[in-house]
This record gives sequence, C-alpha cells and structure tokens, in this order.
Amino acid sequence: MKAKKLIATLLASTMVLSLAACGSGEGAGTSNAGSTESGKADATNEGAAATSDETLVIWTLADDLKDFAERYTEQTGVKTEVVVIAPEDYPTKVQTAIVGGETEPDVIVGEPQMLGDMFSYGAFANLDDFGAQDYADQIVDYVWEVGKDEEGIQRAISYQITPAGIYYRRDIAQEVFGTEDPEEIGKLFADYPTILETAETLKAAGYRIFASDSEINYFSGDSAWVIDGKLNVDQGRLDYMDLVVELYQRDLTAYAAQWATPWYQAMAGEVPILSAELQWGNWDDADGDGNPDLNIWDADNFNENVANFSDEMTEVFAFGLPAWGVLTMRDHVGDTSGKWGVCPGPAYGFGGGTFLGISSQSKRQDMAWDFIKFVTLNEETADWWIEFSEGDTVSLKSVLEKHKDDTNPVYGDQKMYAMWLELAEGIDYSKVTQYDKAIGDAWGQAISSIKTGEMSKEDAINTFYDTVQSTYPDLIIER
Amino acid sequence: MATVARKKRSKLTAYNNWGYFFVAPFVIVFLIFSVYPVLRTLYLSFTDLKIIGDANWIGFKNYQRVVTDKFFWKALLNTIRIWGVNIVLQLGLAFLLMMVFSDVKYKIRGLKVFRIIYYLPNLIAATSIAFLFNTLLDWRYGTFNIMISEIYKLFGATYNPVDWLGSPNTAGYTIAVIQSWMWFGNSFLMLMAGVQGVSRDYFEAASIDGAGRWTIFGRITLPLIKPIMMYVAITSLIGGLQMFDLPFLMSAASSASYSSVQTVMMYLYKFGFTTGSTQVGYASAVAYMLFLIIFTVSLIQLKLFNRKED
Amino acid sequence: MWNKCMKALLYFFLILLAAMCLFPFLMMMVNATRSGAEIVTGFTLIPSTHTADNWHTVFEYFNLFVGMRNSILVAIPATLLSAYFSSMTAYGLAFYKFKGNKVIFMAILIFMMIPGQLSLIGFYQLCSKLHLINSYIPLIIPAIAAPGTVFFLRQYILSSLSPSLVEAARIDGASELYTFHRLVIPIISPAVATMGIMGFIGNWNNYLLPMILINKNEKMTLPVMMATLRSSTDINANQGAIYLAVAISIIPILVVFCFFSKYIISSVSAGAVKE
Repeated sequence: MKAKKLIATLLASTMVLSLAACGSGEGAGTSNAGSTESGKADATNEGAAATSDETLVIWTLADDLKDFAERYTEQTGVKTEVVVIAPEDYPTKVQTAIVGGETEPDVIVGEPQMLGDMFSYGAFANLDDFGAQDYADQIVDYVWEVGKDEEGIQRAISYQITPAGIYYRRDIAQEVFGTEDPEEIGKLFADYPTILETAETLKAAGYRIFASDSEINYFSGDSAWVIDGKLNVDQGRLDYMDLVVELYQRDLTAYAAQWATPWYQAMAGEVPILSAELQWGNWDDADGDGNPDLNIWDADNFNENVANFSDEMTEVFAFGLPAWGVLTMRDHVGDTSGKWGVCPGPAYGFGGGTFLGISSQSKRQDMAWDFIKFVTLNEETADWWIEFSEGDTVSLKSVLEKHKDDTNPVYGDQKMYAMWLELAEGIDYSKVTQYDKAIGDAWGQAISSIKTGEMSKEDAINTFYDTVQSTYPDLIIER
Repeated sequence: MATVARKKRSKLTAYNNWGYFFVAPFVIVFLIFSVYPVLRTLYLSFTDLKIIGDANWIGFKNYQRVVTDKFFWKALLNTIRIWGVNIVLQLGLAFLLMMVFSDVKYKIRGLKVFRIIYYLPNLIAATSIAFLFNTLLDWRYGTFNIMISEIYKLFGATYNPVDWLGSPNTAGYTIAVIQSWMWFGNSFLMLMAGVQGVSRDYFEAASIDGAGRWTIFGRITLPLIKPIMMYVAITSLIGGLQMFDLPFLMSAASSASYSSVQTVMMYLYKFGFTTGSTQVGYASAVAYMLFLIIFTVSLIQLKLFNRKED
Repeated sequence: MWNKCMKALLYFFLILLAAMCLFPFLMMMVNATRSGAEIVTGFTLIPSTHTADNWHTVFEYFNLFVGMRNSILVAIPATLLSAYFSSMTAYGLAFYKFKGNKVIFMAILIFMMIPGQLSLIGFYQLCSKLHLINSYIPLIIPAIAAPGTVFFLRQYILSSLSPSLVEAARIDGASELYTFHRLVIPIISPAVATMGIMGFIGNWNNYLLPMILINKNEKMTLPVMMATLRSSTDINANQGAIYLAVAISIIPILVVFCFFSKYIISSVSAGAVKE
C-alpha cells in the first residue's frame, strides 16, 4: 500500500515537473494570451494523474503515435498503450467500439475524410470543454478548422500539416530541363496541359513523369463534392479526368499502382518495363488507320518498333505526395537520396493527417486531453518530432517558423518548412466532406473505365451519377 | 397386453426425452449468440438508423429502395456469375476426383497424398490468398504475366498482357477461378467422406454379383452419398451468394472492374461498415433481401433433391 | 493396354492438379527468401538470401509467435467444443423424436443462410453488454452452436448409422450417453474429423470477429496481427517480409492437417460401421 502511494506521488511530481517544462516552453513561444487558461487546465490534469495509475489507450492507424507515446511515458510516467489498426479496418473498428459504448480507447484518431462521419456518430468529446480554443492561434489555420464539427465545436487536433507538393528528381531535371530550381520546376507542373507537355518531354528522354497516374489526385478539384446537399462536379474534376486518361493512354507513366511495391521502388531508381509490353503502350497511329502502328502478331513490324526502345528500364521523375511523403521518401529513396527536390503542384491540395481527439466514451478524458496536448500543442515535442522523424511537419506555427531554415539532405539541402507553411496557407479545408470516400471512389471508377477504353466518357459519367444517387438517395443531383 | 404397449411407449418416450438433453447446449448458445443479433438486425431494417442515434420506424421504405436499386441487382448478377463459373469448376472437379478415386477398376493409389495437396489452398486465409494473387496477377509487374510472356517468347510470339483483375471483362472470371482453386479440395474431401461412409461390403457384394463399375457407381455410390452431395451443393450456393472476401480484397473501389465484381455482400458492406456511406438501417434491409433470395433458392433446391429421391 | 493408358492419363491429370495447388505455395516460400526489389524485377524459383532481413522486418514490428499462441488458445477450444456439441446435437436431432425437433432443424437451415456479417453490430453490442470485449469467450463459446456442422453431421448420421445398432445397444442396457460416446462417435468420426479440420481452419483464419472484439496488442490473434502488419509501410514496401509472415502463419495449420488426415484414414480403415 505504501509503495503504491509512493509511486503515485512520484508520478504526480514528474507530471508537475514536465508540465512546468511545457509551460515554460509556451511562455517562450509567440502567444501568451492563453497562458492563464492553460494553467488552469494543467491543474485539473495533475489531479487526474495523481489518482490513476491506469494505462491510457490510444487507437491509431499508423506507427507514428507509438513514438510520441513512448516519449510521453518517459516524460510523465503515465503508462500508454498504442494499438495500431490496419487502415481498412480502422473506421469499422472505432465505429463499433464507440457505438457499442466501449470505454477502452481513450484517444482516437481520424483522417480528414473520416472526421465528418466520426462527428456524426459522436465519436469525439468536446475539446472546447478542456479549453482548446486557447490554442486556436498557435496552430496552422486549416488544421484547426478541419478539426471542428458542423457547429464549430473543436473535436480533434492534428500535430502535422499535410500540404501536397511535387517531389522530383533534381538530377533528371538538370539533364532534361537544364535546371533543378524548385521554382522553375514548379512551372513545369503549373497546369494540366503543361504537365502533359512535361510528360512528353520526359518520355522522349527515356523517363516517365510519374510512377502511377494518380499522382495529381491531391491537387484535383476546385470545390467540395457536395455543397448544400447538392452533388457538385466542377470543371477541375473533369479536367483531372482528362489528364489521367491522357497520361495513361499516351503511355506517360510507369503503370505502377500507388502504394504498391513497384511504386515504392520507383523512388529508389530504375523500374522495369516488360519488354513485351512496351509496344502495347505505344499508341501512336501515324498512318491513321485507327489502329496503333504496332502489330504484335507481325514479327517485322514488331522488331522495328521495339528497336525504338533501347532500354527495358526506366526512371521516374516525380511523385505527388503530401508533406508526410517526406517520411515515405526517407525510407525508400535508397541511392537516390540527396537527388530530390520538392516544388508546388498545379493547385493547393492536402492529403491525410492524423487528427487526435478524445473518445466520447472514455472515462479518462482529462488524461487523454493531456496526451493530446503533449502531442499537438507542445513546442518541445514538436521540436523533437521534427528531428526524430527527419523532416516531418508539425502544425504549431511557432515551431514551423523556428525551423524554416532547416535543410534536408534527402532533398539536396532544400529548406522545406517555409514552403510547407506557405503551401498550407493556401489550403481550402472546406473541400473536405464525409462523402469524399464514396464519391471519390465512384469518380475513380469512371476515370478508370474511360482510360482503359471500357466505357465512353458520357456513359462513365452517367454511371457515376447513378452510383452516387444510389449511395446517397437524399443528395440532389443535377445532370 | 395394453400395459405392455403402454410400457413400451413410455419407455420410448423416456428415450426420446433424452433428445432435449442432447440439443440443450446448442439451443442455449444459439439463442444468445445467433438469434438475438439477427432479430435485432431485422428490427433495424425497418428503421432509418444511419450509425447512431434514434432509430425511427419507417416501414418498408428500405426494402422499396433495395428493390428499385439497379446496383443491388447488378451486384446480385455479378455474384451469380462468379459463383456459377466457380461452382461448375469446383464441384465438377471434386466430383471427377471422387469418381477417379472410388473407381473399383483402376484402383488409383495415393489418395492420402493427393487429398492433402488438393486441400492445401483451402488452408490459407483469404487475406493471404488475395494478397498472393494480387501480386502474381499484377498487370505490368506480376509474375504471372511475366511468365506467360516468357513462354510466348519461346515460340517467337508476343504476349499482349491481360489485366486480369483490372479489366471488367476478366476480373469476375479470374476471381471465380481462384475461388474454385481454393475450394475444390474441400468439396472433394466432403464427397470422399461420403463415399468412405459407404460400407465396403456393399461394393464387394456388388462386385461378386458381377455388377459393372458404372452400375456400382450409379446404383450404390451415388444414392448413398446423396445426402453429402446435397449438403455440398446447398452450402456452396449459400456460401457463394454470400461471397465477400476474395472479390472484396482483390478489387479496388476506384477501379474499372469494380462494378463487375461487386457482390451483394460487398454492396452490404458498403452501407453497413464503410465510412461515409454507413446506413445501418438500409444495410440491414439489404441483408434480409439477400437472405430471402438465398432462402428461396435453397427451398427450390431441396424440392428438386427430394423429388429425385422418390 | 487401353486400361494402362487410361490409368497413366489419370495419374498425369492428378499430378498436374497437384502441381497447380502447390505452385503458389512454392512461390510464397521462394519469395519469402527474396527482397522486395528482387520480387518485382522478375520471376524465379531459386531462393535468394534475404530471409534474415525479412525476418527482422517482420519481428521488429510484431512477435508472430505470440499471435500464434493466441490463435491456438482460440482455435483449439472452439474446434473441440464445436465437434463435441455438434455431434451431440446432430445425434439428438437425428435419433430422438421430441417436441421442437423440427423447429430446431428448420432454424438451423435458416441460420445457415443468414449472412454472417449481418449480425455483427448486434453481436458486438451483446458482447459489450456482457463485458466480453478483449475476452476470448465470444470467439470460443458460440462455436457450440454451429448450424452448418450440425446439419452436415445430421445428414451423415442418417446415411451411415443404422437405427438397429442403437436399439441393440439399448436392449443391452447401455445408457444413452454411453451409446453416444462409445457407439455413435466412433461411427461418425470421419465426418467429425472433416468438420473439425474445417472448423479449426475457419477459427484459425477467422479475421473479422477477432478484429472487432480484440483490442489488446498482446491478445491479438495471428490474422489480426498480420493485417496490422500490412499497415506498416516498412513491410508494405518489402513483399518478401509479407511472404515470410504468411509462410510462418500457415506452418502450424499444415502440421495439424497432416495429423488429422491420418486420423481420418485410420478411422475409416477400422471400418467402424461393421461393428
């Protein structure tokens, strides 16, 4: 019994110490508007920590929170358990747990497109009750807004910003375009016609612009899929559709699927193109007889055409990924490390981002809030994460500012944070709706049907409308 | 005389009361873990419940929506097509193998070994099978297409690679073939268990009487394994109409082939468990529609089997 | 002559079929020794040298042997319970006339047709109410009521167990339970073994229910662990590691299958029906 008390006291005191450390960090930061308020919140947390030697349970869909939790335990002595759930199972699992009234996960996370749904079934507790609004100015705006539900109540906060950019190979850029300056290369991706031109230039030089044809997805669409209960297919979506079809039919990509092994491999350098398949992608039709010039059943014709391709391997020029792509790249660039650069894409876009919130069913909400604060609102944690992850972003403005001159060796010592912050400021968060997954999938189906020649554009778009109508009977659809 | 009859009857009743004892554990667990959740779903199918909150009674509206949704019928058609191809291959192969191994004339050996090998694909979780074949059948980078193109090269021809899982024309059949690859060993094992339940005496007696092997097969083997056949057929159809794992894991929701491999269960999953489109009430109605269809088909099948027996 | 040709042809067909069944597993074993990069670049049946790397990648993330132990803790009790109680129920339904017999059989037929995922939310809510989340009980106990197995065994008992045997036992004064244990079970054992194998595999590979019911890392069963493995980018980028994980995960089941298939054969050759 005595031992237990001793441990509790020890825990409490480490807690107070670490909180004091956090507090001083905040004081040194840019804003002190909320310091008294946050002090109050801290006081309640001390009580929570002192009375419990329980384990804080965190459910997430990627590994990264494990590192945060480890550090949190080291600093505060609060035990944590991080459960990583496969992304495809995650929504189901959280949904059944919350709806079933499980008290087990204390901290849950969501990606932007999941949040709408999670808000609607009441997954998250109200963070405003814990004084979240005191931190409103410290976090990059769009991140803060995405974490609010329809009524403007703060439900979740992310520790990172996820603006999308184009990751490109500096060496190939130098060879083909004579420059590797991000600003100049950005111009090559300025709009869709330019991207196609760039792609053709690269193909002529023996490269492929992208590994998959979905790399521009993060930048596509000018507005939300659903506005005021009405399906909204804007011109940007249609243009994106045309772009993908062109990229595919003109053999401009390496035909890898995003997130598949060949796609990862394209980051490290050469990827194979099946020799027998080369010509299949050759859609040229110079004699205008409606068929590709190549006849695979005609040996002479075949050899002649194949001779145009000296190499069975190709290299990929660019990837379109959000800021966390830095981590993906970090793990997979291999020998091409240092040869990369990042530039803006054709539009502002963002993708993913782990938003943390407190489970509405949790019995340890104060502890959970303390953890969330540690991960998202603590400058010292943010500093550590930037260093530890070798280049991931954070969402605290002050920290992004502080690291704006940091260079990253993978990207030829490019200064990344200033650019990410700038790109993040252009993000239009209102584009995210809870309909995005289903409607996006249906749109992808339409694009895929057109590019492979299975359907005419008109049929595919009509099927798209039908699918959306069937999925959401309440939506108004004007064809 | 009368007392003896009564005594006999009461003894028989006493025996028969043991029936309650034998089925009691089953019934108790069954009521708790099967009946209750299913009845709850029935209730939900008449409500407008989305994920959480108040479930309002809306009568047959969900059912109206299912019946008029062309994507539901498309999904049913897909399911039947995939199952049809699969069952012809699966049962056909199993039946053929059963015939081969139970043949009295050729006396094929090695049943022990073959049986284990044929059953092997069924051992592995669908998640792993799907992963294996997704990788093998990749259009540009899959081992399967690389292999075929090598073979073509041997003959100086060029292989025009088929996007087995990506093209709507082939995806359904590809999945059906993999499905039957997974399950034919299972059907074979069931049929063999049936044949081996048949006493050797029958065969020996028949052989001594000079019956030919086709006669033995038709007159003895077939009728005796009929209950097992019936079981295999029914469960296969029931399983087939609930097909989910393979098509779900082997198709991407944004691919052109998706609309040609979406099964009824996938359609159900979309509304029952997919973020953004969860409509539990509607999903429950879809589940019950599926159940009605399976129920009808099974009744017809049972009737057919019984008639032949008469 | 014709007979010999025919026989050779039949063997050829059987062996071809066997090769088709084994090939993907061979590929899996070979790929488990290769690096992700090698797998994508080409096809070969010659093992490479990256087993240790792959092993490292897998086990750095999770201890698959813990998952294996958990799967055994679930699959074995569930299989045994299912085999025993299903035989009992099937025998009860097939050989006793009592009120409700037909109703139960109809219920079994109907429940075989109900899509499993349909009752998921109800099932979860039930487990939650009974405080059975993170417990193996909801994964094991429901195995007692397996409609499919009962149906199969009932059909089997009707086709292979003659009523005169049971009557003879009764006349000899055997109790009903004794008859069931000593007479019925040996006779239906081939069918029970078949269903047992399938039940074990079903439980071993079961994914959806454990995925939803088990939230503790140290309690995860193998398939859940494997799925979690796949969400790790380290492993996603290295197919070799996945192949290795799959290979490790199927070894126990191969062992069990060999054991059970022997059991089937011996029980069949014992000719239980003749007794």
